[in-house]
Amino acid sequence: MTHAATPKLGAYAGLAALGLLGALATRRPELVVLAAPFALSAALGLLLARRPQLDATVELAVDRALEGDELELRVQLQADAGAERVEVLLELPRELVVEDGYNPVLLRLRDGERRDLLFRVRCTRWGGFRVGRIYVRASDAFGLFRHETVLDRRVPLKVYPAEESVRNLLRPLETQVFSGNHVARQKGEGIEFADLRPFVPGDRIRRVNWRASARRGELWVNEHHAERNADVVILLDSFAEVRRGDRTTLDPALRAAASLAARYLRQKDRVGFVAFGGFLNWLLPSTGTSQLYRIVDAMLDTQIVLSYAWKDIDTVPRRTLPPQALVLALTPLLDERSQAALLDLRGRGFDLVVIEISPLSFLSTPEGELAELGHRLWRLRREAVRGRFERAGIPVAVWGDESSLAAALEEVSTYRRQARAVHA
Amino acid sequence: MIYAVAAGDRLPAVVAAVGTAGCALTALALPGRWPSLLPAGLAGVGGGYGVLVGLHSGVANGAAPAVAAALFAAAELGFWSLERGAARYERPALVRRLLGIAGGAVATALVGSLVLAAASGVSGGVGLEAVGVAAAALTLAAIAFLASRSSV
Repeated sequence: MTHAATPKLGAYAGLAALGLLGALATRRPELVVLAAPFALSAALGLLLARRPQLDATVELAVDRALEGDELELRVQLQADAGAERVEVLLELPRELVVEDGYNPVLLRLRDGERRDLLFRVRCTRWGGFRVGRIYVRASDAFGLFRHETVLDRRVPLKVYPAEESVRNLLRPLETQVFSGNHVARQKGEGIEFADLRPFVPGDRIRRVNWRASARRGELWVNEHHAERNADVVILLDSFAEVRRGDRTTLDPALRAAASLAARYLRQKDRVGFVAFGGFLNWLLPSTGTSQLYRIVDAMLDTQIVLSYAWKDIDTVPRRTLPPQALVLALTPLLDERSQAALLDLRGRGFDLVVIEISPLSFLSTPEGELAELGHRLWRLRREAVRGRFERAGIPVAVWGDESSLAAALEEVSTYRRQARAVHA
Repeated sequence: MIYAVAAGDRLPAVVAAVGTAGCALTALALPGRWPSLLPAGLAGVGGGYGVLVGLHSGVANGAAPAVAAALFAAAELGFWSLERGAARYERPALVRRLLGIAGGAVATALVGSLVLAAASGVSGGVGLEAVGVAAAALTLAAIAFLASRSSV
């Protein structure tokens, strides 16, 4: 704890000296009366001064929350030696806003007193935080000394992106070998009818299609489509972002990524995650709830790191992108490197879907003829990029403020159904 | 300051000038958040009153305790407004601080009255003046001594 005299001490001593010297010079007792309170205050303050001994602990009601959640944060102050005025400031990241409770707050702590300060904090944005650095400033009753310290009692808090509503997930073109919820093209154990074939020894009796057998005079059995799982890789373009205030294009991208990961994992698919940008972060595909936490934790580490280095898809470890995986790319389509990497992925035969996080709502309205012209050119270039993707057979769905993620996914589903119909 | 100007019958312009200078310095110090300027302003305001009483001889000015209390309260409130931070006071802490300032002002008035009463009861003389000088010097020395070892 640092200790320092306030300017008030010097001022009071000076005023007292001035008054007393004036009284001596003018031989007037009135000036002694004027100087007396300053002299007495300074003297008493100096005599009674002592060092406060303060400590604090920080408790969070939960260590994980969702965007928009409110949580309770308790700061417990302990004063072995109290102080007349204790100013407590809890340092919070911008993403955490105090909804209830005063921060900073000034209170009095007696010797041995223990006080709880309760804060109701709202998580406005996703992220991994460490909360609990407390700035304490204490002063005596006369305000002549200031004691300051920083108590680092930080505890981790993870705020996960809020979930976007998704009705229907995209069905991957190819399935894997493990059982899951997708109807595979292969025949096997399942409930979806596929075909009829003559009975062979070893077939189960319950598979016999009695109606077909009666019509044909011999035993025929039903065949079913196998139900398999799929590999889904969520590829997050973290090369560039558009920011407006506290909002960035990365926010909806992460919300979508978290929602999609949760939904695919729920239907027993293996889900992997790649943050592809100046900062490369990946997670091998896997299943289960623990994978969801791993993915979301990996997402919280995602940030836009400015880099001029050219990166192609070869920089991503090969095992991260298993063959026949459905790759869902969430990108604002701002960086040429990510565009090239996506086209490269398609060229390698991956089942690729691009969900474009529209940066338009993050831009201010262009003012002036030149700005408008630039804005139009920029939009035309984006159209051209989308055209390149579509010519390469990559469906692109635009997700912005005007539409929901569910609508964007539905758009892709329709595109894929029509493409299949044309292909057929 | 207003009292000093209104009550003075000798050189009111000087009294007003000193007092106004003090008020102006205080007015500059508070919104400008200059803690080093505030004592000068307070000294100017007190100085205006000092000039008033210095120009008179004879009986002590009976308003001195009230002026001292007002000056002390103004100083306390002035330094309070200059304190850093925008912390919200808890009600008990706020009440205690306000009561402290009010109590300080009342104590100032009481102590001032006692000092005046004591001063009016004694006649002057070299010996008494020497005692006064010694007391003043001792007071300042005590403050300086306490401040020098005030690493708390």
